[in-house]
Amino acid sequence: MDLIANWLGNMPDAAVPFALAALGLIVSERAGVLSLGAEGLMLVGALAGIGVQLAVHEPGIALIGSMLAAAAVSVLFAVMVVWLRVNQVIAGLALVFFCQGLTGLLGTLLGWTNQPVTGLTAVALGPLVQLPVVGKLFHQNVVVYLVPFIIAGVVLYLNRSVAGLRLRAVGENPQAADAAGIPVLRTRFLAIVAGSALVGLAGGYIAVISTKLWIAGMTGGRGWIAVGLVIFARWSPWRAFAGALLFGGIETLIPQLSAAGIAMPQYFVLMTPYLVTLGVMVWVAVTRRGADETPGALGEPYLREERR
Amino acid sequence: MPESPSSAPRRFVPLLERRYTLELRQQLGWPQQVLVLALAVFAGLFISGAILVAAGVSPADLLNEFIVQTFTDPENLRAVLFQAAPMVMVGLAAALAFRARFWNLGLEGQMIWGAIGATFVSIHEIGPPALRMWLMAGAALACGLAWSVFPLALKMRLGINEIISSLMLNYVAANFLLHLVYGAWKDPKDSFPYSPKFQPFERLPEIFDGFSSAIVLAAVVALLAWWFVDRSRAGLYLRFIHASQRVADAVGVPVRRLVMASVLLSGALAGLAGFMVAAGQEGRLTQAFYNGYGFSGILIAFLARNNPLAASVVAVVVATLFVAGRSLQVFYQIPFSMVQLIQAILVVCVASSDFFIRHRIRAVGAVH
Repeated sequence: MDLIANWLGNMPDAAVPFALAALGLIVSERAGVLSLGAEGLMLVGALAGIGVQLAVHEPGIALIGSMLAAAAVSVLFAVMVVWLRVNQVIAGLALVFFCQGLTGLLGTLLGWTNQPVTGLTAVALGPLVQLPVVGKLFHQNVVVYLVPFIIAGVVLYLNRSVAGLRLRAVGENPQAADAAGIPVLRTRFLAIVAGSALVGLAGGYIAVISTKLWIAGMTGGRGWIAVGLVIFARWSPWRAFAGALLFGGIETLIPQLSAAGIAMPQYFVLMTPYLVTLGVMVWVAVTRRGADETPGALGEPYLREERR
Repeated sequence: MPESPSSAPRRFVPLLERRYTLELRQQLGWPQQVLVLALAVFAGLFISGAILVAAGVSPADLLNEFIVQTFTDPENLRAVLFQAAPMVMVGLAAALAFRARFWNLGLEGQMIWGAIGATFVSIHEIGPPALRMWLMAGAALACGLAWSVFPLALKMRLGINEIISSLMLNYVAANFLLHLVYGAWKDPKDSFPYSPKFQPFERLPEIFDGFSSAIVLAAVVALLAWWFVDRSRAGLYLRFIHASQRVADAVGVPVRRLVMASVLLSGALAGLAGFMVAAGQEGRLTQAFYNGYGFSGILIAFLARNNPLAASVVAVVVATLFVAGRSLQVFYQIPFSMVQLIQAILVVCVASSDFFIRHRIRAVGAVH
């Protein structure tokens, strides 16, 4: 029982970065831009978050710093893929390595590496904490409680607002959207920047709230897992949330099991998130659940003069 | 604005008030293409240099480190060529897969498995010493190839995006490597996380004047790859596939078989690169020998436009960057991630310059 209670208590913290990063990716991919750069943008968010936190000691402001930094770096990617029509795979990979290099260099030069910071204290949700087994689910930091509202906000925006309809139209059929008077390039540009801010927030959360320090390459592939998660979720934010809980659950289950005295070879344990990502992709492909919901123009650059 | 007749005096319209349109170019002559490319590379190097100077490297040292030292000191030239051999290999591996429109981002995983295969042969002393090195190379080829089967099969059978699957497999391979070097294969002598040293006959030998045979092996493979993509029928078919898989299929090109062959070859070459690093540079299996090769391979293939001979030249440039990067790390405490940053800046510049090769910006309704 203790094992399950502790596991449930730790799961949300591990799930938040996946949920936020996947949400950010969904925003830009629904506008038709394939975003492989998540891993790099998360690193930028993580480093910027630590930097701001070391300066002002205010986690809220640090997380805003994460979002702004990732959004700023993503402008480079947006210029490349939207205006210069660079292949989105090459641009995304270049962005990842650009960010890895940049954060590695800056982290060392500025001396932010391995500097511990204070994160957020957990807040109990009143009497719910007293519940047996699931009680610890209601003793989390503020960001965890905010995530469902952030997702709800994005879902409302995408599915219930005119601007969201336009964004999706641009991702489904840019030619038709253009004919209807929607500024395709501007919409995509803004979708990339806004989505990247959420991805940066995910990175900032890992550094400032979860790990509470900066180490080069600290996101350790979670950005790539988020890219896979988006495919698993078929571009739906709520399904991505469920997927994030699944991945967070797996990430936290293993240390819990070994703490409970169940011996497991350490490095095989570290493989599991990646193997599970592969596994869910296979599962999605084999069952072919639901219709194909891939945005129609995902990965295709748009040029009006090329319209057919 | 009404069209002015050509005889009328031209009216100057300020640049910002003109209307611009974007046009696709038919074809830009190759001298102009080379010029644009050279300008892009120069811009990339200039930005990188500026960053290094800002990080505290003196400009004189920078020039000395990268250009004078590399090409005048034979010791450094040897180091660059030594470093270039696995770079050529991963560059060719990436180029082969990209020619079949398969984003093989699993080069590092395939390298890891190649090195593991070679080390397995060494540890278990399989075969006579005279043949040992060749057996290790063969095992590396086979293991690299085998690791590329997974993303290939997932894509072919289930349509799973190879970008994610091959990347995930890198992390799996890296953790398996750690499992080995921290576990069963740990050197019993000093219990550091690496395998026991290879025997002298298990290492790639030196040929004349301290130059490693690795670079000769790399050159031979590059020539074979060039023949494959440029001269063989399969290479011609691959060009069809690269242009359009559907059309290639329609005109009777065996698309599936060729894609499979190129991806497996790609994995095998990456495996061989792993062997080269282990049996050439390190002389044993170490825990992070593969770092940076995956992206370098992609960069090399991209800059060389998937051409094997051009890839070999670009690989030497990237190897120079690696060697100079290591000495910057030692003398200036510049982290090695700077090398990644420079590579990324080069890709960004070259990828962006493509825009000017493929498009033309024209002002309309103005000067004419």
